[in-house]
Amino acid sequence: MLDRVHKKLRRAMRMLSEILYGMTVFDWVRGLRRQRGEIEQLFMLITFGDLIGIPVLPPYYALRLLPYVVPHINRWKHSLLRERDWTDLAELIEGVD
Amino acid sequence: MNTIFVLIIAAIALFLGYGVYARRIDRDVIQPDPKRACPAKLYMDGVDFIPASRNVLFGYQFKSIAALGPILGPIAAVQWGWLPALLWIIFGTSFIGWVQDYASMMMGVRRDGDTLGALSYKLISPRARNILMLFLYFYLLLIMGAFGNTVGKGLMINPKVPLGMIIVTLAGILAGQMLYKMKQDIVLTSIVAVAISFLGIGISTLPAVSNIFSGLYGLPKSPVVFLTVTRAQFIGTLLVFVFCYLGSVLPIWSWAQPVNYVSFWIIALGMLGGVLGMLIWRPGMGEFPAFTQWSIPTGPLWPMLFVTIACGAISGWHSLVSTSGTARQLECETDALPVGGGAMFMEMVLATIAFLTATVAFGSLAAYKETLGKVAALGVFAEGLARFLDHIGVPHDFGVAYGSVFLTIMGLTIMQLAVRFMRVASAELLGDKVPVFKNVHVGTIVALILTAIFVWIVPWLTIWTAFGAANQLMAGLALLLISLWLKEEGKRNTWALYPSIFMLVTTVAALILLAYNQFKGIAVAKTSQAAIAAALVAIIAVVLIVAAAFLIADGWKALQKRRPEMAKKTP
Repeated sequence: MLDRVHKKLRRAMRMLSEILYGMTVFDWVRGLRRQRGEIEQLFMLITFGDLIGIPVLPPYYALRLLPYVVPHINRWKHSLLRERDWTDLAELIEGVD
Repeated sequence: MNTIFVLIIAAIALFLGYGVYARRIDRDVIQPDPKRACPAKLYMDGVDFIPASRNVLFGYQFKSIAALGPILGPIAAVQWGWLPALLWIIFGTSFIGWVQDYASMMMGVRRDGDTLGALSYKLISPRARNILMLFLYFYLLLIMGAFGNTVGKGLMINPKVPLGMIIVTLAGILAGQMLYKMKQDIVLTSIVAVAISFLGIGISTLPAVSNIFSGLYGLPKSPVVFLTVTRAQFIGTLLVFVFCYLGSVLPIWSWAQPVNYVSFWIIALGMLGGVLGMLIWRPGMGEFPAFTQWSIPTGPLWPMLFVTIACGAISGWHSLVSTSGTARQLECETDALPVGGGAMFMEMVLATIAFLTATVAFGSLAAYKETLGKVAALGVFAEGLARFLDHIGVPHDFGVAYGSVFLTIMGLTIMQLAVRFMRVASAELLGDKVPVFKNVHVGTIVALILTAIFVWIVPWLTIWTAFGAANQLMAGLALLLISLWLKEEGKRNTWALYPSIFMLVTTVAALILLAYNQFKGIAVAKTSQAAIAAALVAIIAVVLIVAAAFLIADGWKALQKRRPEMAKKTP
């Protein structure tokens, strides 16, 4: 019985702390992740740009990275070629309400 | 009507609205599949699509949708009496608000993480996306005007506020430096920054400090500098513009984010204290009437009440956040209801608390109107909050300064991000034709000049009504999109279509009334300022009406064309 109560309390505390994290630093962390993601995408573009039709001839050293890049190619293409408009920027100004 | 009774009504609405109606729609109509891959996992790119847990997203969604809107709207709307405002908050959320937030999130998830702009293009017409952009730009411009007006000309003219605001900002900058440059722990950083902020607010209430600002403002009767703007209002708004300028041009980690973070704690602690004080005090409505009259200076109850309270009942902005932000982070479809619907119902609770600060805290319409006349809606909230804080032992003077600073910071953090957005938008829109707009300083200054026109010329309540209309038109569009999507999927759509029709009809009626009143105002204006203000708002209202007419026509055509089998053909 006590064990069950203890478990429930722990779950509730975890839930509360996650909600608080979402309200406070999550956006901050997300911004940093986004920054890293954008730099990685840029790196992919300058090394394997020919995959999406940009005339960048991959040098030999870039080709050595190919095995590491292959699993991410589809997502990278989707992200890079996705059509964007202002509404994509809306999430950057959260809380405007 | 007692405070506790109002809170019980809100709890019942939460239970019936979320626990019964929302769950039923979720289970029987949308039928989320926990095994279906969401765009966050399918397209995980580390930029837009990143999965996050349900609880984290709930906090993120709530913070994203609940700012000054659910506070200002109910405070302005109780002029019709407390009953219409309370009923719209509760029924608006239960039948329209959560529908929009939740369904737009699900629509985003099921349509590969498309945003509202892309969805309008695909489901209605290419023109619909341009109309959405128009609503969005006016929304931001008007929100800048409304918040700039109430913060710069209302809260900042209190000599006990500016220093507190400056110190909280400095504490935020310090927090950013401590975290990024000095690599300090987040808990230590938070404690230091929040302690400095509290100390700053305390110091700003000292007579020696407030007298400096009184002298600077030329109080007790601040002289008029130009138009009807007094020296206090001029300095107050200039401080607001400087804050927004820095927030727009500086790196986000050094200014906007840490100030936002520190202000969160100031706001959260203030709200917590206010709610505790309210529960201890438990005041009744006193002489505050349930209903005053059908028509007040703002306009008749229908349609004006429904655009005065936007956030807190239904807000078009939420659909943007739901599609472009949260839908791309959901781990599984079953998380959409607690995140989208749950956050909207939580916002209803926040709106109810704001409603209580304007009603039970004052106890009479006369006391409420006196404060509203002096310091606008945010001042009413600061005063109401201070009266609640009195009951947990916080001195009234400190309470008013605290409430004012936290609302000022809340308004400013929103404004700086809106200026940032407007700067990026103008660079995207005009940058190729007029390269100077690509310069961050030029884009920011242009956005601030446009804001200044609204802040210094147009009265607060007029801007607020126009802002509410732009916002509710976005809501009407989002609900129309949801109806189209549901029809395409072969699902029952009346639960979104009827709210969409209601929102569009009500908002267009409000805009027609607003335009008519403003055109009438030009003819009878006694000063050139009043005439310019009326003309400005009238033009915006007419543009929005025309845009809404095109949208309704396109939406109706799309609704007639859409058949369930089209779902397979549409990309």
